[in-house]
Amino acid sequence: MVVSVDEKCLRLTDESGERGVLLGMRCPNCGVCVFGPATFCQSCTSADLEEVELSTEGTLYSFTIVRVPPSGWPGPVPYVLGEAELPEGPHVLAEVIDCAHDDLRVGMAVTLAIQTVAMDGVAGSERAVYKWRPA
Amino acid sequence: MTQFRPGREVMVVGVGLHAFGRFPEQGLSDLARDAVVDALRDSGVPWSAIPVAYFGHVYYHGMSIGETTLAQLGLTGVPIINVENACSSGSTAFWQAYWGITSGVFDMALAFGAEKVPSGPVTVTAENSPARYIGGDHMMAGYALRMKRYMEETGAPASALAQVSVKARQAASMNPYAHRKETYSVEDVLNSRLIADPLTLYQCCPTSEGGAAAVLCAADALDTYGLDRSRAIRVAAAALTSGNYNGRGSDHSAFSPYRTEPAALQAYEMAGIGPEDVDIAQVHDAATIGELQQIEALHLTPFGEAWRATEEGRTALGGDIPVNTDGGLLAMGHPFGASGIRMVHETVTQLRGEAGPRQVENARVGVAQCSGAGDVTTVHILTR
Repeated sequence: MVVSVDEKCLRLTDESGERGVLLGMRCPNCGVCVFGPATFCQSCTSADLEEVELSTEGTLYSFTIVRVPPSGWPGPVPYVLGEAELPEGPHVLAEVIDCAHDDLRVGMAVTLAIQTVAMDGVAGSERAVYKWRPA
Repeated sequence: MTQFRPGREVMVVGVGLHAFGRFPEQGLSDLARDAVVDALRDSGVPWSAIPVAYFGHVYYHGMSIGETTLAQLGLTGVPIINVENACSSGSTAFWQAYWGITSGVFDMALAFGAEKVPSGPVTVTAENSPARYIGGDHMMAGYALRMKRYMEETGAPASALAQVSVKARQAASMNPYAHRKETYSVEDVLNSRLIADPLTLYQCCPTSEGGAAAVLCAADALDTYGLDRSRAIRVAAAALTSGNYNGRGSDHSAFSPYRTEPAALQAYEMAGIGPEDVDIAQVHDAATIGELQQIEALHLTPFGEAWRATEEGRTALGGDIPVNTDGGLLAMGHPFGASGIRMVHETVTQLRGEAGPRQVENARVGVAQCSGAGDVTTVHILTR
């Protein structure tokens, strides 16, 4: 069974590692929602946070085609890095797949995709990773 | 909200640099020591009179590297504090030196910084971090995302961003300390290798090595130590902030210009001046887009208009708001621990009227702004 790249950001919902939801923490006090784990509210510092499942659809706030990858990048080069804005507020950075470079647009609709990624030559390094693809 | 109670007036009495570039024969301590010796000589203060020192650096070179570095100058027993605050490590060391004096604890302080940044893309997270699978831990990709969005929102053409680099090299061509001194054209910048679209290689600061230092002294103690009042430059404000939640989506994340704004407003308030009073600015131009957004966050132009000011030559030497008069990170290079103090060095040099061919006429108020990953911003204001 494939494990999530970060269980506090991506919860897998079946054993294939192809389905899952992004997780956020919402503050009932002030309404602010952030992507991933949080114990205290970023805005009002309340500790009274609740976990929420984030929308699987967002819009592309910005994107870049990375030609020189950071060390340890396990994917193809170049790759598209997208910053998606979710309806709940958070922006989520992830690779954008299945989109020709010329078709990328700021403001385009994107949807959550989950793929298994392994670090080159590292046994046991398979992880289910969240990505964006055109909606 | 932090409460500030500056007490004694603080002056910068000496600045020093080790050239920025690549120095395979020299260790971190060599770069740092040379900058300190240069600053002490400039100030006229002997090392034996320095009561406290703060050392900005990021990469690990062994425990208490600040102590072992300054031990070369003599074992005086003074407190030495190692400071890591990402790209703002040097400017944070300067902030600590300022507050150490204004609070009344010390008459003088030494702030210094040095770095030997490895080649290649800079990452922030640890080796086994999930971020490595995501592909987002890439400083320049982060800037590229901001650049794309900025161009989309403001209509800034790629040539306006390239002009930031052209301007940086023009200033650096007159600066013997700069890592990159050769000038180039807008076309050269746009045709250089793409790193992360639309950011090309010449729009990214080089990773570099270098050192910088500043000696600070209370204004009321200048005579006690026989220091030259005519070359002393006043620290009108020293502001340091971490992340402020502002509800602007990703704009409270790393590299956001909105992170700089609260530090800038704090600094202007401390100094009792406004952006209209600023004669020169050194800002965090790790990439071309960074310079534009920091200019706007400092309110030197309205938001979305720094690219126009750049195109019109207003931010170049000879313009009405010269920015990064020594070449900035783009041409000086960016040794993290040193950069924030390098900005102080250039500001002091300009306000003293000692900048030679780069001299901005009648510069009386200078701002130095430095951003660091993990949400660190410093804004220091110096006045003559």
